[in-house]
Amino acid sequence: MIEHGPLLERLLAGQSICAVTDEEAFRRLQDEVTREELNHYLRPLNRRLAQSQDGSVFFLAYQELTTDAREHLSREFKQTIQSLLPLLEWMQLVQECLGRDSALSAGDTIKLQEFILKTEDNQSLRLRLGQLASDRYFKSGSDNLDTQLKLIFKRLKENGYLFQPHKDRQFYVVTGKIEQLIELVRFIKDEESLPLEQESEQESLF
Amino acid sequence: MSEKDPIEKNGKQSPQSRLQALGIERLSLLGKYAQPLMQTYISGYFDETSVSEQALDKLIKARLLWRPDEQEALCLRPGVNGLIASLTEDERKRQINADIAGQLDQIRTRVTHYQDAQFRGDYAASEHHFQLLTEKVHDMTGQFSDAIASLWNRLNSDFGFVSNLADKIRENELAQKQLRRLLDGFELIDFNEMIELAQSNGALRKLLVSQLQVSISDHASSLLEVQKRLVELMARFRQQQERVQLIASMTAFLKQHPNFRVGDYANRSQVPELVNQAKPIIANAAIGLDRSSDSEVLAELVREIPIEHQGLVQVVQSGGEFELVDESLLQAREQALKEDVENFFIAILDTSPEEARGLSALDYLQQHRLAWDAEIWLFQVIAEFEGLATEFRRSFILEKCTRELDPFNQVDIIFDLNLRVNQGLVLK
Repeated sequence: MIEHGPLLERLLAGQSICAVTDEEAFRRLQDEVTREELNHYLRPLNRRLAQSQDGSVFFLAYQELTTDAREHLSREFKQTIQSLLPLLEWMQLVQECLGRDSALSAGDTIKLQEFILKTEDNQSLRLRLGQLASDRYFKSGSDNLDTQLKLIFKRLKENGYLFQPHKDRQFYVVTGKIEQLIELVRFIKDEESLPLEQESEQESLF
Repeated sequence: MSEKDPIEKNGKQSPQSRLQALGIERLSLLGKYAQPLMQTYISGYFDETSVSEQALDKLIKARLLWRPDEQEALCLRPGVNGLIASLTEDERKRQINADIAGQLDQIRTRVTHYQDAQFRGDYAASEHHFQLLTEKVHDMTGQFSDAIASLWNRLNSDFGFVSNLADKIRENELAQKQLRRLLDGFELIDFNEMIELAQSNGALRKLLVSQLQVSISDHASSLLEVQKRLVELMARFRQQQERVQLIASMTAFLKQHPNFRVGDYANRSQVPELVNQAKPIIANAAIGLDRSSDSEVLAELVREIPIEHQGLVQVVQSGGEFELVDESLLQAREQALKEDVENFFIAILDTSPEEARGLSALDYLQQHRLAWDAEIWLFQVIAEFEGLATEFRRSFILEKCTRELDPFNQVDIIFDLNLRVNQGLVLK
């Protein structure tokens, strides 16, 4: 068990483990036996290992939903919902800015410098970026593009959506948490039966 | 393909050498005008100002360029276009010829020609027909492998020659259609028929049955693999598309409905897995002295704690003893010092002119058993001298007795002062 100590500590501290943030730990968590061992340890703490639907992220969930647990979940969920719009807007912005035809997904890298270069000369992108930065999720009061961007990326890093492999190099890797976010969006869409027009496209699959 | 036949027929009528000469001339024309022709391939029309009228004429005659319509610009003949596309593996323009039925018909006719010639005993003609037949068969299989290579190329670049996802999906659909047509074409090749055609002729059998069979089965398996991959890729494209759309539509929805509230998932009887993320626990630990075996390690740790704190503690302690001296007391001491220095100056004036060598400030300090620190005393004497009004100052001469502190840095220090009366001024 002691060899899983650091991993457990990270999980307990609320971090998600995916192939981007910690490949070694992620690989270890693929093992059924290890997962059982960890779960055995976690049971008295009312925690258990959970993974996202596509299996790309591991995190801790409550074993039993007590009142306290529900309260916490409710609070966290509200926060996530509040951050949903700015996060989705950011994803769109990155996609447009870097001229990608697919949405961001785990493992994609974003170079801050490239992002700055692309936004700098584009007035409408700048405007949107400015609005996004001043959203209460990012809370930037600066007019400077550079500062705004750095703050946005820092915030996303803090919240686990981005991973910075080198501390002083400005490039970021998208983590599995983005996948979780998308899953959540899909879930909300289905659960609340939101009228998002895309069924017509879906039918023509193959 | 259509333009190849008349030339071949010509070749049959006129001597072989004429065809050869013409072919070489036209091929070298391709080389000579490679640049404008390639430019035409890229831009779609020929810039008529780039070459002389004569050359233009030549290019048109050589069947490299043509004018599809009176009003339109000159462009490359489809054959040339296809040639460049296949040479450069340019997937945007490369075409897949899946018309197998037509080619099979040609093969059948060719076989009949060949057999007729053999029956007539015309060896030259039969040999010629056999050569053409071989070419036809190789042409067909070559087209298959070309088509398959083209499909693979497109696959491996994820249809990278078109920029957006919707285009990629359309390209993928097109590739799947072409592939299906190729597979349908394969089914048209009936080997029983081929065996019948070949009859007992060994050369024909080899060409039409064994060679063709091997290459067709190779191609078929390769095509199935391509198909599998195409479908996979399509699924991925669709997934990406769905994702992009999901993000876009959700963003739009949230913007349109700023007051949108989602259900309280956390308080449902069945909490969705997605929402169930436990609260962080930050692990804390303290020194445990209950295990004696650890005490050594712990002691080591304690020893490693920097002892800077002690300095701080001392400051605090001395702070306890430190008493602020009464301000008036300080002033009184200052006053006393001042008075003593003044007395020193008066003492100088009292000295007889004979002893006018002056008095050492330090000597005076000792003689009068004053309690001042020597340094403070000297400072005060200098201060007093400097502080005198100019006319009084002239009455005194203050000599600083200095010595060099170090031979290297030219710093002099004052070790004593010598004060005497300026005789010339005072004596009147």
